[in-house]
Amino acid sequence: MALPRASTFQLSRFEFPARFARNRGALVGAVLIFLVALTAVLAPLLFPTDPLRIVGAPELWPGEDPDFPLGTDSLGRDILAMIVHGARATLLIGLCASAVATLIGVTIGAIAGYFGGWVDEIAMRAAELFQTIPNLIFVLTIVVILGSTLGNIVIAIGIVSWTSIARMTRAEFLALRDREFVQACRAMGMGDGGIILGEILPNALPPVIVLSSLVVAGAILFESAVSFLGLGDPNVASWGRLVGDGRQLIRSSWYICAIPGVAIMVTVLCLNLIGDGLNDALNPKLRDR
Amino acid sequence: MAAVAAGSRGRAALRLLRRRLIQAVPLMLGVVVINFCLIQLAPGSFLDLMTAENQVSDPATIELLRKTYGLDDPVWLQLMKYIWALLQLDFGFSYRQNMPVIQAISVHLPATLLLMVSSITLALAVGVAAGVVASVKVRTVWDSLVSIAAMFFFAAPSFWLGIMLIVLFSVKLGWMPVGGMATIGGVGGGIAGVLDILHHLILPTLALGLFYAAIYARVMRSSMLEVAQLDFVRTARAKGLSRNKVTVSHVLRNALLPVVTILGVQMGTVLAGSVVIESVFSWPGVGSLLFDSVSSRNYPVVLGIMVLGSLVVIAANIAVDLVYMWLDPRIEIR
Repeated sequence: MALPRASTFQLSRFEFPARFARNRGALVGAVLIFLVALTAVLAPLLFPTDPLRIVGAPELWPGEDPDFPLGTDSLGRDILAMIVHGARATLLIGLCASAVATLIGVTIGAIAGYFGGWVDEIAMRAAELFQTIPNLIFVLTIVVILGSTLGNIVIAIGIVSWTSIARMTRAEFLALRDREFVQACRAMGMGDGGIILGEILPNALPPVIVLSSLVVAGAILFESAVSFLGLGDPNVASWGRLVGDGRQLIRSSWYICAIPGVAIMVTVLCLNLIGDGLNDALNPKLRDR
Repeated sequence: MAAVAAGSRGRAALRLLRRRLIQAVPLMLGVVVINFCLIQLAPGSFLDLMTAENQVSDPATIELLRKTYGLDDPVWLQLMKYIWALLQLDFGFSYRQNMPVIQAISVHLPATLLLMVSSITLALAVGVAAGVVASVKVRTVWDSLVSIAAMFFFAAPSFWLGIMLIVLFSVKLGWMPVGGMATIGGVGGGIAGVLDILHHLILPTLALGLFYAAIYARVMRSSMLEVAQLDFVRTARAKGLSRNKVTVSHVLRNALLPVVTILGVQMGTVLAGSVVIESVFSWPGVGSLLFDSVSSRNYPVVLGIMVLGSLVVIAANIAVDLVYMWLDPRIEIR
């Protein structure tokens, strides 16, 4: 059904990428994230052997041996290989957790905003509840009770990250649910499910997608903290775990800690820049704030 | 006139307090129910969970726990009994510390609260100051510097920042202690003792607080710029007030409101963040206890920390609401 787009974010297909590209920080972020993702995908080709295998002398500083540009850790494992393989785990967990959070948040936010009344009240109380429970403590509790598997960590991070997405989706639904095109659908006898999924949701999604790019950044920070504390999946060497592993040696070889931390920081920074860029491109009015 | 106004403000604050306390009840109930669900989801029985790794083999003790938690009862009755036990502050017994869970947690709580308060203070002071500078000197090199610093600290994992601070200030420069809350062996009580604790507090505060300072700087900057365009600011300028006076007494106060809102929302995050920081700096707070309990699968303590942590967050949120009301006289009880 060809109805006018009702969102506050009315942009042509061509205007949007141009706006995004004009934001230099966002462009740099997008390029860097693309490179990180590419490294993650190509990790088995770049370093075909097990990254946790001992390959050289222990505690070689970066640049000391041209074979190991980022040096080796306390056991003599190649730090560059571990970083490249760690990118897979880190990005994958970040994306999956953000997907879980978006799924929960959009579902709850859409239902709350569309139906309003007591449904809305309950949903918002639930959001408040999950904002009250100290998030990382909740993640650790879930992980310790249900086990440190990748799946549990992803779900736990998703469960503590959905509230902002639900609030945003709810606000969009509240703004859209009484617009003419929705009333027209209702008058034509369309069901609630069809209106929510087919009519309002597509118009409500753009700002939600921006937010979920920020949730990916948050999820990566969460996962790195869980792994740093030694509670991550023992079969996965994410960046956070590498920082944790290097902690004992900060007096002699602090680079073992520093390098994976820089990798986390750069990735999160780029995701934030992309989020800001998308936000600016979608809400030109807010750009100068 | 002013006294009457102050009196009505005071009554309004009391009304707000009462309303928030009533709202806190279902919230706490929700936390407890979630806790209970986690216990039910866990592999093994409630009893296994409550005694795991504690080597409780004494049949009398196990029988006592069976009775206390009514393990042969239907689930809903178990939930009621669990809530009843928590209402009496009975969080179970920690065999590891050989004391009731509530006691084990309250021993560690002050250190965590100290770290939280100092980090929030630092975040507010640095964040608000940086945001004000950036907005007053908008589109200058100062503005860019604040933006770059905020971007950096917003992306840096706090535990990693903490380790890097230790490397620089403790290992390389030797200015700061590596960890702990007081010098081992002690420096005596009184002022020397307080200064010693403050000395140990600096690095953990920086590691935890700078992330939030980055958020507040960004929010403060945009909020200052927004408020500065409002009509009442133009009116104040037209009345002949100096730019500085308008900035301080009109813009700043109103621009603080979004910062206070965010502070309230993030209280739980700050508490959770201190868990990680405490592990980095061996800070003897609830985080250290949690980490120890998680590693030893001491579930009663873990669940107790979640309930009490939520309680701290609710209390802090109420305090933030009162501050908000004090800052913004327009807010009346709805």
